[in-house]
Amino acid sequence: MESYDGQKLTDSWRIALIALLFGLALLYLAHALFTVQVVQSFAFSSDQARQSIRRVQVPGARGRILDRKGVCLAENRASYCIAFYVEELRKRGKWLNTINAVNANVDKLASVLGIPRELSYNAISNHVIKSLPMPLIAWKDVDAVTLARWAERAEQFPGVDVYVQPERYYPEKSLAFHLLGYVRRDRPPQSRPGEKSHFYLPEMYGREGLEGKYNEWLTGQLGEQLIRVDARGYKYNVWDGEPAIPGRDLQLTLDASLQRVLENALSDKRGAGVVIDPRNGEILAMASAPTFNPNEFIPMIRDGLWKRLTEDDAHPLLNRAIQGRYAPGSIFKPVTAFAAFSQTNFNPNTLHRCTGTFELGTMRLRCWDTYGHQDIAMRRAIEQSCNSYFCTLGYQTGPAALIAQAKTLGFGMKTGIDLPGESSGLLPDSEWKLERLGEKWRPGDTCQMAIGQGLLLATPLQMAVLAATIANGGKIYKPHLIKTDVQPEPLRTMDWSPEALAVVRGGMRDVVQQGTGRRVQICGTQVSGKTGTAEIDIRGVRHKNTWFLAFAPSEAPTVALVILVEDGESGGKTVAPLARQVLVSIFGESTNESPTRVEAPIVTGGD
Amino acid sequence: MFKKNDLFARFRLFNPLMLMSMVCLIFIGILYIYSSCSVREDVDLQQLYLRHAWAAGLGLIVYFVVALINYKRILKWSWFIYAVVLILLILVPIIGDSQMGAKRWLFGIQPSEPAKLGVVMILAWVFSQRNVQRGAGLFFLTALLVAVPGFLILLQPDLGTAMVLVPTVFMMMFAANVAPKLLWGSTLAGLTMAGLIMGTVYYTETVPMTHERKESLISKTCLRDHQIKRLQVFMFPDKDLHGSGYNRRQSQIAVGSGGAWGKGYLKGEHYMLGYLPPSVSSNDFIFAVLAEEAGFAGTVIVLLLFLFMTWTGLWVAFRCRDDGGRILCVGVVTVMFSHIFINIAMTIGLMPITGLPLPFISYGRTFMLTMMVGLGLVQSVSMYGREEETRFS
Repeated sequence: MESYDGQKLTDSWRIALIALLFGLALLYLAHALFTVQVVQSFAFSSDQARQSIRRVQVPGARGRILDRKGVCLAENRASYCIAFYVEELRKRGKWLNTINAVNANVDKLASVLGIPRELSYNAISNHVIKSLPMPLIAWKDVDAVTLARWAERAEQFPGVDVYVQPERYYPEKSLAFHLLGYVRRDRPPQSRPGEKSHFYLPEMYGREGLEGKYNEWLTGQLGEQLIRVDARGYKYNVWDGEPAIPGRDLQLTLDASLQRVLENALSDKRGAGVVIDPRNGEILAMASAPTFNPNEFIPMIRDGLWKRLTEDDAHPLLNRAIQGRYAPGSIFKPVTAFAAFSQTNFNPNTLHRCTGTFELGTMRLRCWDTYGHQDIAMRRAIEQSCNSYFCTLGYQTGPAALIAQAKTLGFGMKTGIDLPGESSGLLPDSEWKLERLGEKWRPGDTCQMAIGQGLLLATPLQMAVLAATIANGGKIYKPHLIKTDVQPEPLRTMDWSPEALAVVRGGMRDVVQQGTGRRVQICGTQVSGKTGTAEIDIRGVRHKNTWFLAFAPSEAPTVALVILVEDGESGGKTVAPLARQVLVSIFGESTNESPTRVEAPIVTGGD
Repeated sequence: MFKKNDLFARFRLFNPLMLMSMVCLIFIGILYIYSSCSVREDVDLQQLYLRHAWAAGLGLIVYFVVALINYKRILKWSWFIYAVVLILLILVPIIGDSQMGAKRWLFGIQPSEPAKLGVVMILAWVFSQRNVQRGAGLFFLTALLVAVPGFLILLQPDLGTAMVLVPTVFMMMFAANVAPKLLWGSTLAGLTMAGLIMGTVYYTETVPMTHERKESLISKTCLRDHQIKRLQVFMFPDKDLHGSGYNRRQSQIAVGSGGAWGKGYLKGEHYMLGYLPPSVSSNDFIFAVLAEEAGFAGTVIVLLLFLFMTWTGLWVAFRCRDDGGRILCVGVVTVMFSHIFINIAMTIGLMPITGLPLPFISYGRTFMLTMMVGLGLVQSVSMYGREEETRFS
């Protein structure tokens, strides 16, 4: 084609080709946009959600812990915290500007409130970097005066607000501390099922005791909150995801008033006590002394407190009832008696002559009665707690039967109580001794074990289970703290003959009637018991662990108990009166009936 | 030309469709600049859309003025315009202002934008000279005329703008059929070089080698660090999602999350929450904002408007009976189209990221005015390019 002035004109087909090319290029873009915006749209939308939506874990209200009658032992109270909402203090530019602004505000607020700042600069910068949309708690659990002071000046501090969070509260203070355990507020050890959370509100979780053991039951189900954040991490909007499900209450078999009596009896001592229902294994009270008020751990464990508690040589955090390992001493003697009954040719009426000492090879044991009990049979030997008799009996019965009897009764293994950290005690045998001490089992070891001394170690709870088993005629129930309406099945049943039971129980009744445990006598209720004083050597110093094991009423026992006091004088003198306090609080003391006290001189000394 | 009847006759040749689609696009641009700058913290920056609107108003006046002047008179001055542009480009590195690591500004304008038009105009003028031989001589003259401003623009550095010159000059030479063998030969050479550079980058990323060797290989490409990074991001999109690959990834997410129908005007989360950096969301990445809020439906409408503009521009060239007018139209349309294609392709991750604005929609006053002057020239071609034809018919 030529132009109007005859010059050769640019070809029109070239322009048409360019138009076609551009059209095709735009078609290609349209196709690409279709792919991204329609075909892959879902993937990009979820990418967008993934980078802008943060999941916050929200705990439900923690369940309470109640005693068997509904008395509250652990609950939640509102705790007032002063919190910074960093979003409202945000500064443009570098993060450092925001961090410094918050830091300056913390100082300013501290001087206004007249309280020292608790938040370090590092904590602020950590918070800004890691959990920006969450409230930054500057002071936990402030008192009413501080709160009022803050309220007066609140408008001067934008971005600061009161943040209410539940805190654990133990209304009975130190009562049953060792059973309840305590809670800490920290990064939660558990997490929601499903998608991972980005943030969490510091959550209470149980440490030690029932709070620890039944943490999941008490915690309930975590909920979640969704936060949309901008590219810098600031909160844009919030909406609720799944709501949290509150935790459930925990009802215990414990009787708070009985627990208080037991703890009062043990106050200013070191020791432990367990009160158990022999009919089903329910723990009615369990105490360890000294104890501690867990409210001091709330809202957080202060500097030095933990160190002080763990370095205290009285070990207040130790639950002696399940973690303390003690030589049981004479309260083990019923086990020796039952072991003897398991031998076919045993006659409980056979007399034994006690001369005050007992010799076997090079070993020489003293009976507590220097002049000896003279001729003595089993029932009276239990009543008088004659070492000479039981040493001989153990020797005659032999280690195999004695250890087998103790093993069946649960010595050397955990009772299975629903508390963490239980000790299994120690039931030595010849293999154990050879392996651990490199020595052979000697007849002396059998004699020592027969009177609850030597290498044998048991927890107060194990002894309480023994008391309950003798009380109910041989059924071993698993001791437990959670109340159920179901009558539990016994774990094991002892094959004790009625005769054996009659002799041992008779002996134990005599202990209270006229023997070493007379201080436990109560008007109106027949009590059976056994005293014990175990002598031990701790780094060259002699210590006496004093015991009392009892059940009542003697004919149809509803209560069995064991109390241990470290460094007592003797079971009869130190512990029996404590046991009496506990039993009186259960059965009362009728005043119109004279005590069935038998006129006999109170013999001082041991068992 | 300023006789009343004459002017009226001219206006019958005015192409209203091109003006309409341009006004539509400018309107869309103001809407989405408002959307994207509304989330800025700085109060001044929240007013960007107003500045854009004022520039558009000014641009319309300029558009009509340019349209009413016979383009042939303007082309006669093209050497002067070219010279002014060159002086401005030379002044930029001496007294210009820096922004984001590049010196592109002079007295509040970006001389590299009118430079594109200056190159198009001088080439249209040179190609349409009577008796000019469209052979090797013209080819090398063209190369020189493009290379001087191109080199100055590359110095700023503004690779995107320099890149736009390549297809523009190619299309103009193709339309004017200048030295076809040399043109295709050099195109082939250029493609080979681009392939070599891409190949080198690919090689250094995939084959294990020492750091020194990698450095020496990359230095042979003569590209700057950030350009190499962009190529790497383009070829390996998942390599550095939080660093140099961030913008590409985020603009892709914004476009993709818009879906078929979009999230609704002023409801785009991606720029609002700042994932698409606010510094780029109203200019180079405005298409991502639009795509998120208006969805595929909206992007198709915009594509259709652009197609319409491109085709009407080429239709004017097609109907023009004057060589200079034809080549000028091809040049202006190609400049515009290159921006459209590169910008959208970069927004959805089809091309490496180069800072090129989207015509009429992106915020950028110099560029918008330049484009409107360019379209004014096309309109002028529409009115004056058929002069003789009307005389004879």
